[in-house]
Amino acid sequence: MPNVLRADGITVKFGGVTAVNNVSLSLGSGEILGLIGPNGAGKTTLFNAVTGFAPMHSGRITLLDKDITTLPAFKRTRLGFGRTFQTERPFEELTVLENVLVAAFLTAGRRSEAERLAMGVLEQVGLADRAHQPALDLNLARRRRLELAKALAVKPKVIFLDEIMAGLNPPALREMIAFVRSLSAQGLAVLMVEHIMEAIIELSDHVIVLASGEKIAEGTPHQVTSDERVIEAYLGTD
Amino acid sequence: MIKHLIGLGVLLAVGIAYPAIFPNNLTIAISVLLFAGWATSWDLLGGWNGQVSLGHASFVGLGAYFVAIGQSQFGLAPWWTMAMAAAFAAVLGYFWGQLTFSLRGPYFSLSTIAVAEILRLVAINEEWLTGGATGVFIATLPEPFGIDLFSRTAQFYMALAFAAMVIAIVIAISRGRFGYQLRAVREDEDSAMASGIDPTATKLKAFMLSAALTSIGGGIYGIVLAFIEPHVIFALLLSVQIALTAIIGGRGTIWGPAVGALVLVGAGEMFRTTFAEANMLIYGILILVVVLFLPRGIVGELARRHIRRLYAKRAQG
Repeated sequence: MPNVLRADGITVKFGGVTAVNNVSLSLGSGEILGLIGPNGAGKTTLFNAVTGFAPMHSGRITLLDKDITTLPAFKRTRLGFGRTFQTERPFEELTVLENVLVAAFLTAGRRSEAERLAMGVLEQVGLADRAHQPALDLNLARRRRLELAKALAVKPKVIFLDEIMAGLNPPALREMIAFVRSLSAQGLAVLMVEHIMEAIIELSDHVIVLASGEKIAEGTPHQVTSDERVIEAYLGTD
Repeated sequence: MIKHLIGLGVLLAVGIAYPAIFPNNLTIAISVLLFAGWATSWDLLGGWNGQVSLGHASFVGLGAYFVAIGQSQFGLAPWWTMAMAAAFAAVLGYFWGQLTFSLRGPYFSLSTIAVAEILRLVAINEEWLTGGATGVFIATLPEPFGIDLFSRTAQFYMALAFAAMVIAIVIAISRGRFGYQLRAVREDEDSAMASGIDPTATKLKAFMLSAALTSIGGGIYGIVLAFIEPHVIFALLLSVQIALTAIIGGRGTIWGPAVGALVLVGAGEMFRTTFAEANMLIYGILILVVVLFLPRGIVGELARRHIRRLYAKRAQG
């Protein structure tokens, strides 16, 4: 499978602390890569470094063979990155539709065109009936879906999902899992940081396990969940 | 959209008839219109884009000085010097923004105070050009189509055209791509970047446009004053009044700054004539009431309630 995204030797340092140490990953279209690890393992930091929201110490990132290592986050978005934030960050003063319009205007020149694109995405995530509600008023599950809608409205080639399953009740979780699967079925490359193992096991083609900023295991969901180092990292040793 | 265009039509209709109906109240109306235009220009940056400037007197002063110096020293007509002032203000906004938009929080606002202060000092010290602390006097003006630009009626119509133009520009921007980029950057810069928006470029554009528009109003103000003194035109008080007008009326709304101008300038004048010495007290109380009970400003609060009501109705039925 040709690579859509490649990240080689990503290292992120905060002062003297190495938050992510020499981690590499690659992702093809339609592929789902799961990123797991205990709290503080550097998952979100890696995520932010790849998407351009955290400065990298060293490493190289390519999107469709184009080197994007030094590009700022908004340029990576323009080239095909879509991302959600772990703590949802809607534009609170805007309505649900307007939130998605902001992203839709990236590719749509005219208002009517942007509105059509935004409504399409809202229908896809099941928020169309909330389009004119202030974003501030949405509950958690709907705020998550709005994050997704905003990420999808930039028409990404790779979508980065940062713990979008966390805190969802079982039916909402099932829906979200089905939704992420449908994204990969459309050919989108998906990189997800997730704590919910159920989602990781069901969805991921490939899993990377981080602990203390290092990649400690990599493979299919089945391989990594039976890996001793992984169990050790999660449960600790005596 | 239609609503706003109707509003603009009403403003123009009332404005065009006004001098015939109230020929003795033109000066106050000119003030209201200039403040409406300035506050609306300020709001492009301060309200829609969330970058609070306390230095917009800089641009008012630039416009006024360009018109006055252009006329008195070079014999240039005000329309040329206003266009030059707008271009100069945009360039100044660009460099100023380049220097300061990496500052977050109140630091940008603080830096804006400094710029007006620098311009005031330049105006005082470069006497050969600006007349120094004494100021510049406009003795003659051209008479396009036989119109006397020194007449209050002509000045009123200029101020009306200025206010209407700025409001029309904001109406046009508010629904399009740039309008949403402005708001997205105001709400959350990271989230805006995730939507492919360059926050610094957006702020620079907003600042340049805001500065250019403000300076055009400044040029008209120069004609109205006919005598420009640096400590009056580059005063911090003027910068604060412009910001306050927009904030009281409603930041980030199309009509808020204009309503703010009507309330603050209009009421301010009324208080001054009715209550004499007590007017600043009442002015202060008015500001306090708005800040305490209408934190989004007059129009901002009304708009929010309207949206809530609409949504509640839709949710029920």
